[in-house]
Amino acid sequence: MIRRPVRDSGRSRLSRRDLLWVASLGLRSRRVRAALSALGISIGIAAIVGVLGISQSSKTGLLQELGQLGNLLTVQPQSTAFGQPTELPATAEGMVSRIGPVTSVTEIGSIANAYVYRNSVVPASDTSGISLTATDATLPATLGVTVAHGTFLNAATARYPAVVLGAEAASLLGINDLASPTQAWIGGHWFTVVGILNPVELLSQLDSMAFIGFPVAERYFGFDGHPTGLYLRSVPSQVTAVAAVLPATADPANPSIVAVSYPSDILKAEVTAKGAYNGLLLGLGAVALLVGGVGIANVMVVSVLERRSEIGLRRALGATRRHVAEQFLAEAVLLSVLGGLAGVVIGAVATVIYAASQHWSVQIPAVALYGGLGAALVIGAMAGLYPSTRAARLSPTEALRTV
Amino acid sequence: MTHPVPVPARPDAGPAPVLELAGVVKQYPGEPPVTALAGVDLRIGQGELAAIIGPSGSGKSTLLHVMGTLERPTRGVVRVGGQDTSAMSDTQLSGLRAWRLGFVFQQFFLLDGLSVLDNVANGLLYRGGRAAERRRLAEAAIERVGLGHRAGHRPNQLSGGEQQRTAIARALAGRPALVMADEPTGNLDTTTGASILDLLRELHRDGTTIVVITHDPDVAAAMERHIEIRDGRIIRDTPAGT
Repeated sequence: MIRRPVRDSGRSRLSRRDLLWVASLGLRSRRVRAALSALGISIGIAAIVGVLGISQSSKTGLLQELGQLGNLLTVQPQSTAFGQPTELPATAEGMVSRIGPVTSVTEIGSIANAYVYRNSVVPASDTSGISLTATDATLPATLGVTVAHGTFLNAATARYPAVVLGAEAASLLGINDLASPTQAWIGGHWFTVVGILNPVELLSQLDSMAFIGFPVAERYFGFDGHPTGLYLRSVPSQVTAVAAVLPATADPANPSIVAVSYPSDILKAEVTAKGAYNGLLLGLGAVALLVGGVGIANVMVVSVLERRSEIGLRRALGATRRHVAEQFLAEAVLLSVLGGLAGVVIGAVATVIYAASQHWSVQIPAVALYGGLGAALVIGAMAGLYPSTRAARLSPTEALRTV
Repeated sequence: MTHPVPVPARPDAGPAPVLELAGVVKQYPGEPPVTALAGVDLRIGQGELAAIIGPSGSGKSTLLHVMGTLERPTRGVVRVGGQDTSAMSDTQLSGLRAWRLGFVFQQFFLLDGLSVLDNVANGLLYRGGRAAERRRLAEAAIERVGLGHRAGHRPNQLSGGEQQRTAIARALAGRPALVMADEPTGNLDTTTGASILDLLRELHRDGTTIVVITHDPDVAAAMERHIEIRDGRIIRDTPAGT
């Protein structure tokens, strides 16, 4: 017999579009079951996206502060072995400012023997814990502090009895604004309050300080010109190098009494502390994903058993084994990816709500979004692998033999 | 080789049979092996309306599966449109079913989630091509079986007869060379069954080649050629017009 070519180019085909349609059909006709089995994936992905999004948003919030303070260094004389307070040489500021990468230096000097009162009739014992500090006009620029009311000291007001109050000092004295001329009673002299500072996040000790100029401090309180602390900023990349040479530069005679600290260390510790539970939470999310994947595999296995006659029918209609496998695999992947998509949306919404409540800018790492969907895809494929090969192995006649 | 079974002289009857079985044996493994088909020679010509008749256990369902390439014979040759199927891969056989063969089952096997139109279009799914074209062919097939007014309905909204008409439309939509129907009236009452048989006869008059498998003498009586099978063998083959 002569073989004749089959007319109609008799190949069995299933385009991507048709495959997607067929796969979605299985889900559309069993909506509740599909939704429930995708829920596990949704919860897992939502947990992962939420944890990554919230921790990233909180980190960004802290790092914004860190960016402002990351290159800030403080120099303080340590107490001696006998507990006596020490001070830096009067030349310290000048020498430190000559370290190459240092961009600005501000010195402060505590005035121990004078106290700040609202007026002259306040009992002398009621010191409010405000520490009087001499400094110069560069302080706001060096520390990135802003003035809430009035102005900071300048070259002129530094020579006269003028004072700038830290935020807490102002509230302790009951001075909320400078709408009317205000004076404070400091060490037996009337000082005009020329400014009130905003709170300083990292150096909260500044909030309870009252600042006066060095010339006034010398004249009224006999300040000897030895700073009790230096604040300085350096080129960000050189912070460590600057810190290394600071003790010897600030006090060449006694470098060992000079303590250098980074205020940003506190923030870094805070960032680390906030991230401590992330690993655990991500682990829980991963477990939820795994359970979700097992759930999908389970549902698909049941589905293959239930839909034997559909498999048989499709084989009779011309589906190849591969087409049947693809259908069930695509169904599992579709189920998982839809669950993942819902999870990404839930996680993102949770992040937005939480970030808004904390006044952070919303930061969801792209890797959480793509990674979440990618994980859902991979899990769906793995969950669908066994059921789909089972479906494909079914012989058409076996599949058509119903009950 | 087998001798051609005489077929009615039809103007469109081609020389090559639509389907040809030569020395087909089908055994299922076991102790002892079960022989479902014990050497079947059969030719179905273009445009025939044939009934394969036999009691349950006679091997007629196996015969349908082997004819429809759903199952490979243990020995012997099955040719569809002159092509030997024994050398074909599973994928090639699937292509053959998609393009050349149509099935109608006793249980209809309609998909509940789909409308009548989509169920019928599903019959053309594995041919590929444009979905719009498949729907157009499906619409024509639905009109042909008289279900035009039901095209948007779901199978569970249809009567049994309407469901079987849908299944017939699905088998017909791609104008296959051969439509095989396995007890097409088995799940229907007598009146509805008769109307389905009328439809099959109508389709036969339009030129469709149809083989019906049945144990029911009334169904067989509605067909033109009668092939009787017992214990896996053809015991009588009564051509049309006798």
